[in-house]
Amino acid sequence: MSRPAVLAAPVGRFADSLLARELPALDDDRRSATVAFVQRRVDGLPSVTRLGVTIVSHGIDIVRRVAGNERMLDIAIGLPLPLVSEYPRLVRSLGFSYVWETWPHTADDGAST
Amino acid sequence: MSLIRRHHDCDVLIIGSGAGGATTAATLAEAGHDVLVVEEGSWVPQGSVAPFSLEQMDRQYRSGGVTVALGLPSIAYTEGRCAGGGTEVNSGLYRRPPGDTLRRWRDEYGIVDFRDDDIDEICDEVETALSVQTVPGAQTPASEILRRGADALGWQHDEIPRWMAYPHGGDATAGKRQSMTETYLPRAMTAGARVLTEHRLDHLVMHRSRALRAELTSTADGDRPVTISFRDVIVCGGAIQTPAILQRSGLRRRIGRTLAVHPTVKLAARFDGEVNTPEDVSVVQVKEFAPEISFGGSASQPGLVALALTDNWRDFGQVVNAWPELVIYYAAITSQGRGRVQAVPGFRDPVVTYRLTKRDRDLLGQGLARLALVMLEAGALEVYPSFRDAPRVRSRRDLADLTGAFAATKASVMTVHLCSTAPMGEDRRRCATDSFGKVHDVDNVYVNDAALLPDAPGVNPQASVMAVAIRNARRFVDAKAG
Repeated sequence: MSRPAVLAAPVGRFADSLLARELPALDDDRRSATVAFVQRRVDGLPSVTRLGVTIVSHGIDIVRRVAGNERMLDIAIGLPLPLVSEYPRLVRSLGFSYVWETWPHTADDGAST
Repeated sequence: MSLIRRHHDCDVLIIGSGAGGATTAATLAEAGHDVLVVEEGSWVPQGSVAPFSLEQMDRQYRSGGVTVALGLPSIAYTEGRCAGGGTEVNSGLYRRPPGDTLRRWRDEYGIVDFRDDDIDEICDEVETALSVQTVPGAQTPASEILRRGADALGWQHDEIPRWMAYPHGGDATAGKRQSMTETYLPRAMTAGARVLTEHRLDHLVMHRSRALRAELTSTADGDRPVTISFRDVIVCGGAIQTPAILQRSGLRRRIGRTLAVHPTVKLAARFDGEVNTPEDVSVVQVKEFAPEISFGGSASQPGLVALALTDNWRDFGQVVNAWPELVIYYAAITSQGRGRVQAVPGFRDPVVTYRLTKRDRDLLGQGLARLALVMLEAGALEVYPSFRDAPRVRSRRDLADLTGAFAATKASVMTVHLCSTAPMGEDRRRCATDSFGKVHDVDNVYVNDAALLPDAPGVNPQASVMAVAIRNARRFVDAKAG
């Protein structure tokens, strides 16, 4: 999937930002594939959970537009709110498990080894 | 474009093809009943996907394995969604229901004709049918680690038999899973049962105390609507889907209100050398503190190792590339908490919630610390508990830090054992069905799966589910014959 396509939805934009920060050496193609995987899994969530994730992701996307990527990530990751704080956790869990299952020889910064 | 509705008829409609549905189908079909099984997922042949892989989660789990019971903390759970249900994807470990558990269920829930001897006899049959056995050859390093750690502490441990067929003297990784698609479903089909996969049940159409027909969607056929007429319907969708189906059909009394699970917390442990067998799990469990706390091994694919480290990636992430030296283990508890499954109008999936008690949260912390101790005694270089801001554990001195830092709300709590959302028994204040799974006050709707178990049995529940399902199916056959 192309980068513009994976970045079309709030979940994709958030996943892309999170992965860029936490796995900075993951190359663009791999990051796009990972974001597409995260988006697919979120699309397949049970309906009520998906609704909740959609609401949170739009809220966080508004914060991104107002405060910028880095500040948005600080806020999203640091939020102590139950359930809301599980959104970055969900995205990270999906993304990281995809990266290491697909490319097991990856360093902790995302670089190929 | 609207699709033409398809229609099927049968005597007995069985919804779901897992441990409950497949055994029910085989029992009824072999007794001469006209049986139709509907299964929401696909028929995925054994061996066609790597065990515990993301591909398996895509093809054989509901929602790709990303399902959660909301709460503080929320608890991730998984459900099989394929022909054979959870038996196709679980660890294959087999434990008979403990006698004291059976007696407690019988006495507290008023289950009639529920004798230990009868259940044991059925377990004997199941064990033959599924080729239940211990590993004849070498076990994986993950099993040896648990055994070694428990031995060093003088703690009780066992090798848990599995429903696996092994080639002569085969090692742990050579086993072929004797799941429902290899055993009871073929038996049912040989006896004449029909199986419709990729058919999702929407609801049962009720008239007073009878179910008249089922309305389904054929997902393989462009979401074509399907109806099925039947004399009796037996719901075997598992502890989450069964109550959701019943509630969508207007049946709500004592249904979906008493979800019971075995919550687990995890850690990754690193050893000096390659110990990770991605396609298999430990067959050894540590039972020193059972039934309250048990320890066992988890799937340790590289992606799952990364997942186990994500709660404290900043401190733990740098070991991810050493995943061949890492194995994941869990501490499971018997919970005093309960959850709910609630169908919501307008949504396909139910809302699932679960509340851990303070005792549960404390027990999870104790379990994790004791599991870390087992790892250290087994020779772990380092232990990485799966909770936010967890400390790295290198020696016994670090265990106090682990205990001090642990909070269940910071942990990745999960479960794969879900039970008790339509408990059986004659005590109508507590039970959704009678002693044999017939929904109270309804003439022809039955439940026959993990939802019937009055609570989580403290051991891997598949044997309990199968034994109860076969018992109830035989009673159904006898009742119809009489």
